[in-house]
Amino acid sequence: MKYLKKTGYIVSLLVFLFLVLGPFIWTFVISVTPEYAMFAKTTDLLPEVVTFDNYMEIFSGGRRGGLILTGIVNSLKAVATTLIVGIPVCMLSAYALSRMEFKGRNLIRNLLLITMVIPVMATIIPLFRLFVARELLDNVFWLSLVYVSSYLPLITWLMSDYFATIPKELEEAAWIDGCGRMNTFFRIIVPASYPIILSAALIMFLNTWNQFQIPLILASSLETKPIAIVVSEFMTKDSVQYGLTAAAGIIAVIPPAVTALIFRRFLISGMMGGAVKG
Amino acid sequence: MKQKILPYLLLAPMMLIMGVLVFYPIAATFSYSLKKWKLTAPGDIRFIGFDNYKNILKSESFWYSLQNTLFLLVLVVVATSILGVLVSLFLNIQVKGAGILLAVAVLPWALPPYVNGILWRFVFHSGYGFMNKVLIGLGMVDKPVEWLTSRWMLLVVVAIVVVWRSVPFMALVCLAGRQSIPHGLYEAAKIDGAGTFQIFRRITFPLMLPFIGIGITSTSVTAVNVFDEIVALSGYSDMGKNILVESYLTTFTFLDFGKGSAVTYLVMFVAAILGVFYLKSLNKEVEY
Repeated sequence: MKYLKKTGYIVSLLVFLFLVLGPFIWTFVISVTPEYAMFAKTTDLLPEVVTFDNYMEIFSGGRRGGLILTGIVNSLKAVATTLIVGIPVCMLSAYALSRMEFKGRNLIRNLLLITMVIPVMATIIPLFRLFVARELLDNVFWLSLVYVSSYLPLITWLMSDYFATIPKELEEAAWIDGCGRMNTFFRIIVPASYPIILSAALIMFLNTWNQFQIPLILASSLETKPIAIVVSEFMTKDSVQYGLTAAAGIIAVIPPAVTALIFRRFLISGMMGGAVKG
Repeated sequence: MKQKILPYLLLAPMMLIMGVLVFYPIAATFSYSLKKWKLTAPGDIRFIGFDNYKNILKSESFWYSLQNTLFLLVLVVVATSILGVLVSLFLNIQVKGAGILLAVAVLPWALPPYVNGILWRFVFHSGYGFMNKVLIGLGMVDKPVEWLTSRWMLLVVVAIVVVWRSVPFMALVCLAGRQSIPHGLYEAAKIDGAGTFQIFRRITFPLMLPFIGIGITSTSVTAVNVFDEIVALSGYSDMGKNILVESYLTTFTFLDFGKGSAVTYLVMFVAAILGVFYLKSLNKEVEY
Protein backbone atom coordinates (compact mmCIF):
# COMPACT_ATOMS: atom_id res chain seq x y z
CA MET A 1 0.00 0.00 0.00
CA LYS A 2 2.77 2.40 0.97
CA TYR A 3 4.76 1.44 -2.12
CA LEU A 4 1.71 2.06 -4.30
CA LYS A 5 1.21 5.48 -2.76
CA LYS A 6 4.80 6.44 -3.37
CA THR A 7 4.71 5.36 -7.00
CA GLY A 8 1.47 7.27 -7.45
CA TYR A 9 3.06 10.38 -6.03
CA ILE A 10 6.12 10.13 -8.24
CA VAL A 11 3.99 9.62 -11.34
CA SER A 12 1.85 12.65 -10.55
CA LEU A 13 4.98 14.67 -9.77
CA LEU A 14 6.42 13.83 -13.19
CA VAL A 15 3.15 14.66 -14.98
CA PHE A 16 2.96 17.93 -13.07
CA LEU A 17 6.54 18.93 -13.90
CA PHE A 18 6.08 17.92 -17.53
CA LEU A 19 2.95 20.03 -17.93
CA VAL A 20 4.39 23.10 -16.21
CA LEU A 21 7.93 23.04 -17.59
CA GLY A 22 7.35 21.27 -20.92
CA PRO A 23 6.67 24.41 -23.00
CA PHE A 24 9.82 26.12 -21.67
CA ILE A 25 12.00 23.11 -22.39
CA TRP A 26 10.57 22.69 -25.88
CA THR A 27 10.98 26.38 -26.69
CA PHE A 28 14.56 26.20 -25.45
CA VAL A 29 15.17 23.20 -27.70
CA ILE A 30 13.80 25.19 -30.67
CA SER A 31 16.01 28.16 -29.77
CA VAL A 32 19.19 26.06 -30.01
CA THR A 33 18.17 24.10 -33.10
CA PRO A 34 19.69 25.24 -36.40
CA GLU A 35 17.08 26.85 -38.66
CA TYR A 36 17.24 24.08 -41.29
CA ALA A 37 16.55 21.31 -38.75
CA MET A 38 13.83 23.12 -36.86
CA PHE A 39 10.73 21.48 -38.20
CA ALA A 40 12.39 18.71 -40.18
CA LYS A 41 10.14 15.79 -40.94
CA THR A 42 11.36 13.62 -38.15
CA THR A 43 9.90 12.50 -34.87
CA ASP A 44 13.23 12.94 -33.09
CA LEU A 45 12.63 15.38 -30.27
CA LEU A 46 16.18 16.65 -29.91
CA PRO A 47 18.30 18.18 -32.70
CA GLU A 48 21.52 16.51 -33.82
CA VAL A 49 23.39 19.79 -33.90
CA VAL A 50 23.10 22.48 -31.22
CA THR A 51 23.73 26.14 -31.96
CA PHE A 52 23.70 29.21 -29.76
CA ASP A 53 23.69 31.62 -32.70
CA ASN A 54 20.31 33.05 -31.74
CA TYR A 55 21.49 33.99 -28.27
CA MET A 56 24.74 35.35 -29.69
CA GLU A 57 22.80 37.57 -32.04
CA ILE A 58 20.74 38.99 -29.19
CA PHE A 59 23.65 39.69 -26.86
CA SER A 60 26.09 40.89 -29.50
CA GLY A 61 23.63 43.72 -30.20
CA GLY A 62 22.96 42.79 -33.82
CA ARG A 63 20.33 44.79 -35.66
CA ARG A 64 17.40 42.51 -34.91
CA GLY A 65 18.80 41.02 -31.74
CA GLY A 66 19.51 44.48 -30.36
CA LEU A 67 15.79 45.27 -30.41
CA ILE A 68 15.29 42.64 -27.74
CA LEU A 69 17.81 44.25 -25.40
CA THR A 70 16.11 47.61 -25.99
CA GLY A 71 12.78 45.98 -25.10
CA ILE A 72 14.24 44.61 -21.88
CA VAL A 73 15.67 48.00 -20.92
CA ASN A 74 12.31 49.65 -21.66
CA SER A 75 10.49 47.08 -19.54
CA LEU A 76 12.93 47.63 -16.67
CA LYS A 77 12.47 51.40 -16.87
CA ALA A 78 8.72 50.92 -16.69
CA VAL A 79 9.11 48.56 -13.72
CA ALA A 80 11.22 51.13 -11.87
CA THR A 81 8.72 53.92 -12.57
CA THR A 82 5.69 51.89 -11.52
CA LEU A 83 7.38 50.93 -8.25
CA ILE A 84 8.57 54.43 -7.42
CA VAL A 85 5.18 55.97 -8.10
CA GLY A 86 2.91 53.08 -7.20
CA ILE A 87 4.17 51.90 -3.83
CA PRO A 88 3.99 55.27 -1.99
CA VAL A 89 0.64 56.20 -3.54
CA CYS A 90 -0.86 52.84 -2.59
CA MET A 91 0.54 52.96 0.95
CA LEU A 92 -0.87 56.41 1.65
CA SER A 93 -4.30 55.48 0.29
CA ALA A 94 -4.33 52.15 2.10
CA TYR A 95 -3.42 53.86 5.36
CA ALA A 96 -6.24 56.35 5.00
CA LEU A 97 -8.74 53.67 4.00
CA SER A 98 -7.83 51.21 6.73
CA ARG A 99 -7.02 53.44 9.70
CA MET A 100 -9.04 56.61 9.40
CA GLU A 101 -12.69 57.48 9.73
CA PHE A 102 -13.96 60.01 7.23
CA LYS A 103 -16.93 60.80 5.06
CA GLY A 104 -17.08 58.87 1.79
CA ARG A 105 -14.70 56.15 2.89
CA ASN A 106 -16.92 53.29 1.78
CA LEU A 107 -17.76 55.04 -1.46
CA ILE A 108 -14.09 55.47 -2.35
CA ARG A 109 -13.33 51.88 -1.36
CA ASN A 110 -16.10 50.48 -3.52
CA LEU A 111 -15.28 52.70 -6.47
CA LEU A 112 -11.72 51.42 -6.34
CA LEU A 113 -12.76 47.79 -6.12
CA ILE A 114 -15.19 47.96 -9.01
CA THR A 115 -12.43 49.12 -11.38
CA MET A 116 -10.60 45.86 -10.72
CA VAL A 117 -12.79 44.02 -13.19
CA ILE A 118 -12.99 46.64 -15.90
CA PRO A 119 -11.18 45.56 -19.08
CA VAL A 120 -8.30 47.68 -20.34
CA MET A 121 -10.15 48.40 -23.57
CA ALA A 122 -12.73 50.44 -21.65
CA THR A 123 -10.22 53.17 -20.91
CA ILE A 124 -7.73 52.86 -23.71
CA ILE A 125 -9.49 54.74 -26.52
CA PRO A 126 -9.65 58.11 -24.71
CA LEU A 127 -6.16 57.49 -23.35
CA PHE A 128 -4.90 56.87 -26.87
CA ARG A 129 -6.38 60.22 -27.95
CA LEU A 130 -4.82 61.91 -24.94
CA PHE A 131 -1.43 60.37 -25.69
CA VAL A 132 -1.60 61.40 -29.33
CA ALA A 133 -2.71 64.96 -28.49
CA ARG A 134 0.05 65.42 -25.90
CA GLU A 135 2.69 63.54 -27.89
CA LEU A 136 3.25 61.00 -25.14
CA LEU A 137 3.56 57.89 -27.27
CA ASP A 138 7.31 57.77 -26.71
CA ASN A 139 7.17 58.51 -23.01
CA VAL A 140 7.86 55.70 -20.55
CA PHE A 141 6.72 57.75 -17.56
CA TRP A 142 3.16 58.26 -18.76
CA LEU A 143 2.92 54.71 -20.04
CA SER A 144 3.98 53.50 -16.59
CA LEU A 145 1.43 55.75 -14.96
CA VAL A 146 -1.29 53.99 -16.96
CA TYR A 147 0.03 50.66 -15.67
CA VAL A 148 -0.03 52.04 -12.13
CA SER A 149 -3.67 53.06 -12.54
CA SER A 150 -4.52 49.46 -13.34
CA TYR A 151 -2.75 48.06 -10.25
CA LEU A 152 -3.82 50.70 -7.74
CA PRO A 153 -7.07 49.06 -6.66
CA LEU A 154 -5.62 45.59 -6.02
CA ILE A 155 -2.45 46.81 -4.31
CA THR A 156 -4.30 49.36 -2.18
CA TRP A 157 -6.68 46.64 -1.11
CA LEU A 158 -3.85 44.23 -0.28
CA MET A 159 -2.12 46.87 1.80
CA SER A 160 -5.16 48.08 3.65
CA ASP A 161 -5.97 44.48 4.60
CA TYR A 162 -2.46 44.15 5.93
CA PHE A 163 -2.47 47.45 7.82
CA ALA A 164 -5.64 46.34 9.54
CA THR A 165 -3.67 43.51 11.17
CA ILE A 166 -1.13 45.86 12.79
CA PRO A 167 -2.25 46.43 16.42
CA LYS A 168 -3.81 49.87 16.92
CA GLU A 169 -2.21 50.10 20.37
CA LEU A 170 1.22 50.55 18.80
CA GLU A 171 0.08 53.71 17.08
CA GLU A 172 -1.93 54.98 20.02
CA ALA A 173 1.05 54.66 22.32
CA ALA A 174 3.05 56.80 19.91
CA TRP A 175 0.30 59.45 19.73
CA ILE A 176 0.28 59.70 23.50
CA ASP A 177 4.01 60.30 23.34
CA GLY A 178 3.25 63.25 21.11
CA CYS A 179 3.99 61.70 17.76
CA GLY A 180 1.92 63.14 14.89
CA ARG A 181 -0.21 61.07 12.60
CA MET A 182 2.25 61.07 9.70
CA ASN A 183 5.13 60.50 12.05
CA THR A 184 3.55 57.30 13.35
CA PHE A 185 2.83 56.23 9.82
CA PHE A 186 6.51 56.44 8.88
CA ARG A 187 7.88 55.16 12.18
CA ILE A 188 5.44 52.39 12.99
CA ILE A 189 3.31 51.37 10.02
CA VAL A 190 5.98 51.48 7.32
CA PRO A 191 8.62 49.42 9.17
CA ALA A 192 6.01 46.87 10.22
CA SER A 193 4.80 46.34 6.65
CA TYR A 194 7.89 45.35 4.76
CA PRO A 195 6.44 41.88 3.85
CA ILE A 196 3.42 43.42 2.15
CA ILE A 197 5.56 46.08 0.46
CA LEU A 198 7.73 43.31 -0.96
CA SER A 199 4.66 41.33 -2.08
CA ALA A 200 3.18 44.40 -3.71
CA ALA A 201 6.47 45.22 -5.43
CA LEU A 202 6.66 41.68 -6.81
CA ILE A 203 3.13 41.77 -8.16
CA MET A 204 3.75 45.15 -9.76
CA PHE A 205 7.06 44.00 -11.23
CA LEU A 206 5.48 40.91 -12.79
CA ASN A 207 2.46 42.77 -14.11
CA THR A 208 4.58 45.49 -15.66
CA TRP A 209 6.93 42.98 -17.23
CA ASN A 210 3.93 41.12 -18.65
CA GLN A 211 2.19 44.10 -20.23
CA PHE A 212 1.04 43.64 -23.80
CA GLN A 213 -2.37 45.16 -24.48
CA ILE A 214 -1.71 48.65 -23.09
CA PRO A 215 1.69 49.16 -24.80
CA LEU A 216 0.31 47.65 -27.99
CA ILE A 217 -1.76 50.82 -28.23
CA LEU A 218 0.15 53.39 -26.17
CA ALA A 219 3.79 52.55 -26.95
CA SER A 220 4.53 53.02 -30.60
CA SER A 221 8.14 54.11 -30.49
CA LEU A 222 11.39 52.28 -30.02
CA GLU A 223 11.96 54.16 -26.76
CA THR A 224 8.91 52.69 -25.05
CA LYS A 225 8.16 49.26 -26.54
CA PRO A 226 8.38 46.64 -23.79
CA ILE A 227 9.76 43.16 -24.26
CA ALA A 228 6.46 41.39 -25.04
CA ILE A 229 5.74 43.83 -27.87
CA VAL A 230 9.23 43.34 -29.31
CA VAL A 231 8.74 39.56 -29.24
CA SER A 232 5.37 39.98 -30.95
CA GLU A 233 6.97 41.97 -33.75
CA PHE A 234 9.37 39.12 -34.43
CA MET A 235 6.36 36.89 -34.82
CA THR A 236 4.46 39.07 -37.27
CA LYS A 237 7.31 40.17 -39.55
CA ASP A 238 7.03 38.77 -43.07
CA SER A 239 9.57 36.04 -42.53
CA VAL A 240 9.00 34.57 -39.12
CA GLN A 241 12.30 33.78 -37.49
CA TYR A 242 11.41 30.94 -35.20
CA GLY A 243 14.83 30.46 -33.67
CA LEU A 244 15.26 34.09 -32.75
CA THR A 245 11.68 34.35 -31.51
CA ALA A 246 12.16 31.28 -29.34
CA ALA A 247 15.40 32.66 -27.90
CA ALA A 248 13.71 36.02 -27.26
CA GLY A 249 10.83 34.21 -25.56
CA ILE A 250 13.19 32.33 -23.27
CA ILE A 251 15.04 35.55 -22.40
CA ALA A 252 11.73 37.30 -21.73
CA VAL A 253 10.61 34.71 -19.19
CA ILE A 254 13.87 34.37 -17.29
CA PRO A 255 13.67 37.59 -15.18
CA PRO A 256 10.10 37.04 -13.94
CA ALA A 257 10.65 33.30 -13.50
CA VAL A 258 13.81 33.74 -11.41
CA THR A 259 12.22 36.51 -9.36
CA ALA A 260 9.12 34.42 -8.71
CA LEU A 261 11.20 31.44 -7.59
CA ILE A 262 13.45 33.47 -5.27
CA PHE A 263 10.69 35.50 -3.64
CA ARG A 264 8.08 32.75 -3.77
CA ARG A 265 6.91 33.22 -0.19
CA PHE A 266 6.13 36.90 -0.66
CA LEU A 267 4.64 36.36 -4.09
CA ILE A 268 2.26 33.67 -2.92
CA SER A 269 1.16 35.59 0.16
CA GLY A 270 0.56 38.60 -2.08
CA MET A 271 -1.50 36.58 -4.57
CA MET A 272 -3.54 35.07 -1.78
CA GLY A 273 -3.95 38.29 0.17
CA GLY A 274 -6.13 39.63 -2.60
CA ALA A 275 -8.26 36.52 -2.79
CA VAL A 276 -8.55 34.96 0.62
CA LYS A 277 -8.78 36.94 3.77
CA GLY A 278 -6.91 35.98 6.90
CA MET B 1 -9.61 70.60 11.40
CA LYS B 2 -6.29 69.27 10.22
CA GLN B 3 -7.36 65.73 11.16
CA LYS B 4 -10.40 66.08 8.94
CA ILE B 5 -8.46 67.00 5.84
CA LEU B 6 -5.63 64.53 6.32
CA PRO B 7 -7.34 61.39 4.94
CA TYR B 8 -8.31 63.26 1.79
CA LEU B 9 -4.78 64.55 1.39
CA LEU B 10 -3.45 61.00 1.66
CA LEU B 11 -5.95 59.80 -0.91
CA ALA B 12 -5.37 62.71 -3.27
CA PRO B 13 -2.55 61.22 -5.39
CA MET B 14 -4.53 58.03 -5.90
CA MET B 15 -7.73 59.88 -6.72
CA LEU B 16 -5.86 62.07 -9.18
CA ILE B 17 -4.34 59.11 -11.03
CA MET B 18 -7.59 57.16 -11.01
CA GLY B 19 -9.61 60.19 -12.03
CA VAL B 20 -7.49 61.10 -15.03
CA LEU B 21 -6.50 57.65 -16.20
CA VAL B 22 -9.52 55.51 -15.29
CA PHE B 23 -12.75 57.30 -14.39
CA TYR B 24 -12.57 60.05 -16.97
CA PRO B 25 -11.68 57.62 -19.80
CA ILE B 26 -14.51 55.25 -18.85
CA ALA B 27 -17.00 58.09 -19.07
CA ALA B 28 -15.42 59.37 -22.28
CA THR B 29 -15.59 55.92 -23.87
CA PHE B 30 -19.32 55.92 -23.20
CA SER B 31 -19.78 59.28 -24.84
CA TYR B 32 -17.74 58.10 -27.86
CA SER B 33 -19.97 55.07 -28.12
CA LEU B 34 -22.94 57.35 -28.76
CA LYS B 35 -21.24 59.06 -31.68
CA LYS B 36 -20.63 58.36 -35.31
CA TRP B 37 -16.88 58.74 -35.30
CA LYS B 38 -14.54 57.20 -37.81
CA LEU B 39 -10.98 58.43 -38.07
CA THR B 40 -11.27 57.80 -41.80
CA ALA B 41 -14.02 60.44 -41.95
CA PRO B 42 -12.82 63.08 -39.47
CA GLY B 43 -15.24 65.71 -40.75
CA ASP B 44 -18.28 63.63 -39.95
CA ILE B 45 -18.46 63.25 -36.19
CA ARG B 46 -21.93 63.50 -34.71
CA PHE B 47 -24.21 62.23 -31.97
CA ILE B 48 -26.25 59.23 -33.09
CA GLY B 49 -27.65 57.88 -29.82
CA PHE B 50 -27.60 54.12 -29.52
CA ASP B 51 -27.17 53.44 -33.24
CA ASN B 52 -23.69 51.96 -32.76
CA TYR B 53 -25.07 49.45 -30.28
CA LYS B 54 -27.96 48.59 -32.59
CA ASN B 55 -25.59 48.03 -35.50
CA ILE B 56 -23.29 45.87 -33.44
CA LEU B 57 -26.11 43.68 -32.19
CA LYS B 58 -27.17 43.21 -35.81
CA SER B 59 -23.68 42.40 -37.08
CA GLU B 60 -22.62 38.82 -37.64
CA SER B 61 -19.06 39.64 -36.62
CA PHE B 62 -20.18 40.51 -33.09
CA TRP B 63 -22.15 37.32 -32.56
CA TYR B 64 -19.28 35.30 -33.98
CA SER B 65 -16.84 36.81 -31.51
CA LEU B 66 -19.34 36.52 -28.67
CA GLN B 67 -19.62 32.79 -29.43
CA ASN B 68 -15.86 32.54 -29.23
CA THR B 69 -15.82 34.42 -25.93
CA LEU B 70 -18.47 32.12 -24.44
CA PHE B 71 -16.79 29.00 -25.79
CA LEU B 72 -13.52 30.06 -24.17
CA LEU B 73 -15.31 31.01 -20.96
CA VAL B 74 -16.96 27.61 -20.52
CA LEU B 75 -13.92 25.57 -21.54
CA VAL B 76 -11.48 27.59 -19.43
CA VAL B 77 -13.64 27.68 -16.31
CA VAL B 78 -14.47 23.97 -16.36
CA ALA B 79 -10.91 22.80 -17.09
CA THR B 80 -9.30 25.26 -14.67
CA SER B 81 -11.62 24.23 -11.84
CA ILE B 82 -10.99 20.51 -12.25
CA LEU B 83 -7.24 20.85 -12.71
CA GLY B 84 -6.96 23.50 -10.00
CA VAL B 85 -8.57 21.22 -7.40
CA LEU B 86 -6.37 18.29 -8.47
CA VAL B 87 -3.19 20.36 -8.35
CA SER B 88 -4.13 21.77 -4.93
CA LEU B 89 -4.59 18.26 -3.53
CA PHE B 90 -1.24 17.31 -5.04
CA LEU B 91 0.49 20.36 -3.55
CA ASN B 92 -1.07 19.64 -0.17
CA ILE B 93 0.96 16.43 0.19
CA GLN B 94 3.74 17.08 2.70
CA VAL B 95 7.12 16.33 1.12
CA LYS B 96 10.60 17.79 1.17
CA GLY B 97 10.86 20.70 -1.23
CA ALA B 98 7.11 21.43 -1.15
CA GLY B 99 7.94 25.14 -1.15
CA ILE B 100 9.85 24.88 -4.42
CA LEU B 101 7.05 22.83 -5.97
CA LEU B 102 4.59 25.52 -4.99
CA ALA B 103 6.79 28.14 -6.67
CA VAL B 104 7.10 26.03 -9.81
CA ALA B 105 3.33 25.69 -9.85
CA VAL B 106 2.98 29.48 -9.79
CA LEU B 107 5.34 30.03 -12.74
CA PRO B 108 2.79 29.99 -15.59
CA TRP B 109 0.80 32.67 -13.74
CA ALA B 110 3.86 34.88 -13.28
CA LEU B 111 4.99 35.07 -16.90
CA PRO B 112 3.90 37.32 -19.79
CA PRO B 113 0.70 35.85 -21.25
CA TYR B 114 1.79 36.86 -24.73
CA VAL B 115 5.08 34.99 -24.38
CA ASN B 116 3.18 32.00 -22.93
CA GLY B 117 1.22 31.99 -26.17
CA ILE B 118 4.45 31.94 -28.16
CA LEU B 119 5.84 29.04 -26.11
CA TRP B 120 2.71 27.02 -26.78
CA ARG B 121 2.72 27.99 -30.42
CA PHE B 122 5.96 26.05 -30.75
CA VAL B 123 4.35 23.08 -29.01
CA PHE B 124 1.34 23.18 -31.34
CA HIS B 125 3.26 24.11 -34.48
CA SER B 126 1.39 22.88 -37.51
CA GLY B 127 4.49 21.29 -39.03
CA TYR B 128 6.66 19.06 -36.94
CA GLY B 129 6.03 20.78 -33.62
CA PHE B 130 6.17 18.89 -30.34
CA MET B 131 2.54 17.71 -30.35
CA ASN B 132 2.73 16.46 -33.92
CA LYS B 133 6.05 14.73 -33.34
CA VAL B 134 4.62 12.90 -30.38
CA LEU B 135 1.35 11.98 -32.08
CA ILE B 136 3.13 10.77 -35.23
CA GLY B 137 5.76 8.98 -33.17
CA LEU B 138 3.01 7.13 -31.31
CA GLY B 139 1.32 6.35 -34.60
CA MET B 140 -1.88 8.19 -33.64
CA VAL B 141 -1.94 10.33 -36.79
CA ASP B 142 -0.24 9.88 -40.19
CA LYS B 143 0.48 13.47 -41.05
CA PRO B 144 0.93 16.65 -39.00
CA VAL B 145 -2.28 18.11 -37.56
CA GLU B 146 -3.04 21.73 -38.46
CA TRP B 147 -3.76 22.94 -34.94
CA LEU B 148 -4.15 26.63 -35.57
CA THR B 149 -6.00 26.90 -38.85
CA SER B 150 -9.54 25.85 -37.98
CA ARG B 151 -11.79 27.77 -35.64
CA TRP B 152 -12.62 25.30 -32.89
CA MET B 153 -9.23 23.62 -32.84
CA LEU B 154 -7.58 27.03 -32.51
CA LEU B 155 -9.93 28.00 -29.68
CA VAL B 156 -9.20 24.74 -27.88
CA VAL B 157 -5.47 25.51 -28.08
CA VAL B 158 -6.11 29.08 -26.85
CA ALA B 159 -8.12 27.61 -23.98
CA ILE B 160 -5.28 25.22 -23.11
CA VAL B 161 -2.83 28.12 -22.85
CA VAL B 162 -5.24 30.21 -20.77
CA VAL B 163 -5.97 27.24 -18.51
CA TRP B 164 -2.23 26.72 -18.09
CA ARG B 165 -1.96 30.30 -16.83
CA SER B 166 -5.14 30.18 -14.69
CA VAL B 167 -4.64 26.87 -12.87
CA PRO B 168 -1.92 28.24 -10.51
CA PHE B 169 -4.24 30.84 -8.97
CA MET B 170 -7.12 28.37 -8.74
CA ALA B 171 -4.83 25.78 -7.13
CA LEU B 172 -3.48 28.29 -4.59
CA VAL B 173 -6.97 29.42 -3.58
CA CYS B 174 -8.07 25.79 -3.24
CA LEU B 175 -4.92 24.97 -1.31
CA ALA B 176 -5.70 27.77 1.14
CA GLY B 177 -9.17 26.31 1.41
CA ARG B 178 -7.88 22.79 1.96
CA GLN B 179 -5.45 23.92 4.62
CA SER B 180 -8.09 25.86 6.49
CA ILE B 181 -10.05 22.66 7.19
CA PRO B 182 -9.43 21.66 10.82
CA HIS B 183 -7.40 18.48 11.08
CA GLY B 184 -9.72 17.12 13.75
CA LEU B 185 -12.50 16.64 11.22
CA TYR B 186 -10.39 14.10 9.34
CA GLU B 187 -9.46 12.20 12.47
CA ALA B 188 -13.07 12.03 13.53
CA ALA B 189 -14.09 10.75 10.09
CA LYS B 190 -11.39 8.08 10.16
CA ILE B 191 -12.50 6.89 13.59
CA ASP B 192 -16.03 6.63 12.21
CA GLY B 193 -14.62 4.40 9.48
CA ALA B 194 -14.98 6.69 6.43
CA GLY B 195 -12.99 5.76 3.30
CA THR B 196 -10.73 8.08 1.31
CA PHE B 197 -13.32 8.88 -1.34
CA GLN B 198 -16.06 9.37 1.23
CA ILE B 199 -13.85 11.78 3.17
CA PHE B 200 -13.22 13.77 -0.01
CA ARG B 201 -16.91 13.87 -0.92
CA ARG B 202 -18.27 14.62 2.56
CA ILE B 203 -15.56 16.82 4.09
CA THR B 204 -12.85 18.08 1.74
CA PHE B 205 -14.99 19.02 -1.24
CA PRO B 206 -17.90 20.78 0.51
CA LEU B 207 -15.57 22.75 2.79
CA MET B 208 -13.40 23.78 -0.15
CA LEU B 209 -16.44 24.87 -2.14
CA PRO B 210 -16.47 28.56 -1.09
CA PHE B 211 -12.81 28.81 -2.08
CA ILE B 212 -13.47 27.06 -5.38
CA GLY B 213 -16.19 29.71 -5.84
CA ILE B 214 -13.66 32.53 -5.49
CA GLY B 215 -11.37 30.76 -7.95
CA ILE B 216 -14.15 30.23 -10.48
CA THR B 217 -15.32 33.84 -10.49
CA SER B 218 -11.77 35.13 -10.81
CA THR B 219 -11.09 32.67 -13.62
CA SER B 220 -14.26 33.81 -15.41
CA VAL B 221 -13.05 37.40 -15.39
CA THR B 222 -9.73 36.19 -16.83
CA ALA B 223 -11.45 34.10 -19.49
CA VAL B 224 -13.63 36.97 -20.71
CA ASN B 225 -10.57 39.23 -20.91
CA VAL B 226 -8.32 36.88 -22.90
CA PHE B 227 -6.43 38.87 -25.51
CA ASP B 228 -2.67 38.21 -25.54
CA GLU B 229 -2.88 34.46 -26.11
CA ILE B 230 -5.26 34.82 -29.04
CA VAL B 231 -2.97 37.33 -30.71
CA ALA B 232 0.09 35.16 -30.02
CA LEU B 233 -1.51 32.06 -31.51
CA SER B 234 -3.46 33.43 -34.45
CA GLY B 235 -2.34 37.00 -35.01
CA TYR B 236 -5.24 39.36 -35.59
CA SER B 237 -7.09 36.88 -37.77
CA ASP B 238 -10.86 36.98 -37.80
CA MET B 239 -11.10 33.30 -37.05
CA GLY B 240 -10.10 33.22 -33.40
CA LYS B 241 -11.29 36.66 -32.30
CA ASN B 242 -13.27 37.10 -29.11
CA ILE B 243 -15.13 40.29 -28.23
CA LEU B 244 -12.03 42.02 -26.90
CA VAL B 245 -10.10 41.36 -30.10
CA GLU B 246 -13.18 42.48 -32.04
CA SER B 247 -13.20 45.70 -30.06
CA TYR B 248 -9.48 46.20 -30.73
CA LEU B 249 -9.87 45.52 -34.46
CA THR B 250 -12.90 47.80 -34.81
CA THR B 251 -11.13 50.64 -33.06
CA PHE B 252 -7.52 50.42 -34.13
CA THR B 253 -7.63 48.59 -37.46
CA PHE B 254 -10.88 49.94 -38.91
CA LEU B 255 -10.44 53.18 -36.97
CA ASP B 256 -14.10 53.31 -36.01
CA PHE B 257 -13.83 54.90 -32.57
CA GLY B 258 -17.60 55.15 -32.07
CA LYS B 259 -18.39 51.54 -32.79
CA GLY B 260 -15.23 50.28 -31.07
CA SER B 261 -16.22 52.12 -27.90
CA ALA B 262 -19.67 50.58 -28.03
CA VAL B 263 -18.23 47.06 -28.39
CA THR B 264 -16.01 47.80 -25.40
CA TYR B 265 -19.02 48.82 -23.35
CA LEU B 266 -20.72 45.56 -24.18
CA VAL B 267 -17.64 43.63 -22.98
CA MET B 268 -17.56 45.75 -19.85
CA PHE B 269 -21.17 44.90 -19.17
CA VAL B 270 -20.35 41.18 -19.21
CA ALA B 271 -17.22 41.73 -17.09
CA ALA B 272 -19.13 43.87 -14.57
CA ILE B 273 -21.71 41.14 -14.00
CA LEU B 274 -18.92 38.65 -13.30
CA GLY B 275 -17.17 41.26 -11.19
CA VAL B 276 -20.14 41.69 -8.88
CA PHE B 277 -20.11 37.94 -8.23
CA TYR B 278 -16.38 38.12 -7.62
CA LEU B 279 -16.61 40.89 -5.06
CA LYS B 280 -19.50 39.11 -3.35
CA SER B 281 -17.61 35.84 -3.15
CA LEU B 282 -14.64 37.65 -1.63
CA ASN B 283 -16.68 39.24 1.10
CA LYS B 284 -18.32 36.01 2.16
CA GLU B 285 -17.09 34.65 5.46
CA VAL B 286 -16.35 30.96 5.67
CA GLU B 287 -17.81 29.17 8.68
CA TYR B 288 -17.48 25.66 9.99
